[in-house]
Amino acid sequence: MKLPQAWKDRFRIWKEKFQSGMFIFIHNKAGMLGLTIVSIFVIMAIFAPFIAPYNPYKRVDDFLLPPSSEHLLGTNDIGQDIFSELIYGARVSLLVGLLASICVVSVGTVIGLISGYYGGMVDEILMRVCDIVLVLPTLPLMILLASLLGTGKFYVLILAITLTSWPGLARLVRSMTLSLKERAFVEAARAIGATDPHIMVNHILPNVLPLVISSAVYQAAGAMMAEASLSFLGLGDPSHKSWGMMLHYAQTTGGWWANKGKPCWWWIIPPGLCIATFVTGLMLVGQALELIVNPRLRRR
Amino acid sequence: MRLSFIALRSLSLFITFLLVMSAIFFLARATGDPFAELIEQDPRIPKSAVERLRARWGLDKPLIWQYVDFVKSMFQGEFGYSVNYLQPVFDVIKQKLPWTLFLLTTSIIISTIGAVLLGAYTAWRRGSRFDLIATNLALFVRSTPHFWLGMVLMLVFAFYFPIFPLFGALTPGVKHSSTFEFIKDLLWHAALPLTTLVVRQIGMYMLYMRSATLEVLGEDFIVTAKAKGLAERKVLFRHAVRNSLLPMVTVTALRFGFMVNGAILTETVFSYPGTGRLIYEAIINSDYFLLQGAFFITSVCVLIANLIADLLYAYLDPRVRVG
Repeated sequence: MKLPQAWKDRFRIWKEKFQSGMFIFIHNKAGMLGLTIVSIFVIMAIFAPFIAPYNPYKRVDDFLLPPSSEHLLGTNDIGQDIFSELIYGARVSLLVGLLASICVVSVGTVIGLISGYYGGMVDEILMRVCDIVLVLPTLPLMILLASLLGTGKFYVLILAITLTSWPGLARLVRSMTLSLKERAFVEAARAIGATDPHIMVNHILPNVLPLVISSAVYQAAGAMMAEASLSFLGLGDPSHKSWGMMLHYAQTTGGWWANKGKPCWWWIIPPGLCIATFVTGLMLVGQALELIVNPRLRRR
Repeated sequence: MRLSFIALRSLSLFITFLLVMSAIFFLARATGDPFAELIEQDPRIPKSAVERLRARWGLDKPLIWQYVDFVKSMFQGEFGYSVNYLQPVFDVIKQKLPWTLFLLTTSIIISTIGAVLLGAYTAWRRGSRFDLIATNLALFVRSTPHFWLGMVLMLVFAFYFPIFPLFGALTPGVKHSSTFEFIKDLLWHAALPLTTLVVRQIGMYMLYMRSATLEVLGEDFIVTAKAKGLAERKVLFRHAVRNSLLPMVTVTALRFGFMVNGAILTETVFSYPGTGRLIYEAIINSDYFLLQGAFFITSVCVLIANLIADLLYAYLDPRVRVG
């Protein structure tokens, strides 16, 4: 396959940028720590069936056993192994985070590009919608959307998160597009007869992309937190137990009192710790990426 | 500040407000008919009674008239009837709102002071061990879900060391002999929910303050202040912090919206009788007059907070007014 020269040049520039970016990233201790944390959890999620000692959806032992060599983190109120639940839970939490982040980023970028590039009436309408979503409190709106679209389904959470989280990124992309479209190279492209979609995809998008990628990591972190909150409130998919849902069960079915009035710390502490650690990892990666994308920050 | 600036901001806000209200109206309608659910819950209720209720609250009219009624009633402060609480929505919200406002304002005040001080100090001592520990801790704290933080606090301070109560806002059934007793009971119950909210917000906003201060510390006038031989403390608080507080004003106002999320989750964990929990219940029970009312109140709070932030910002930073 023969690529046009323009694309060859573009790939060469991207490759160089990527290499210099990698250089900065590798020398950023916090970023590497974050990447390590994220990788460990990703490996855990992918190889869950090989790591988990038990089936997390089956009763394997007595109720509410404290941690032992047989059950590293004890069992829950219906005799399921909590360590196995935790490992399988990584799959659900990570997948929701990943998919929701992809959706949010795509929707936000497309709306931001269109709104910024066309301006006028289109811009006015899109930004009004943006305002509305920003003013309505996020979590209640998510709960409302999730309950409208039907609770207990995996994709509903992703949809609810996407519909409520796009405005931030859309605003950002819009403001960048506004300044980019006034640049000489856009005018030149228009002069030789390039169509609007062509200019948006080939001339503006590549310039917005680095920022979009670094914000995608933050979006994933936000999406995971949102998923955890919604699942905690009981809006998750019962056939796909996530970390948030483990806490939901611990809260509602008596992780506190069921054990003869004594709380089961081994049921409450680990899921939240996993969420917090993974999200921290994502934030560290996000910060390192921001340093690469925004050289102004590097001085600090 | 020019009057036209205030007028323009208010007008734009008012349009947003009307659009938000319409969005709330249609979203609430989509959750289902509250009175139909009443029959489902208790089949003994005669159909005619339900029809009467529907007529009383205007649900038998066409949608467009319901909308007109809705807009009218919002301006009159009448929010309809809560099927779940069997009370007018206004009364339900009136009982719950003070608790949430108490939690939110107290935690915003405490956490803002904490975040400003910590953020300014870590920026001033950037690269030190204290800075390293504090910023990383803040990053971790802001990554913990509200509800989990609450559960852990409850585990430690209500179960293993039973210092604080497990739930509620006041000891049930107790008549407080004096205002002092009342406040003591109130704070005793609010301690854990407040700590949850404060800790998490300090984690979030300390980092904002830190980067805002770092930005200011790089400016020329700081170098001048230092060169004049001013004491370090004076340079930091008189010159740097004053200017880095600007972005914090916007952030503090925007927090109101985010705080609602925190309120819902924290109130759920601690069974606190506030509006956060109310919104959740209203959605689950498709109690849509209540839902409309609760959404209305929170959106109005967020909008007012935004307006105040805009005006305050323009007042504090003359550059905004010109543009």
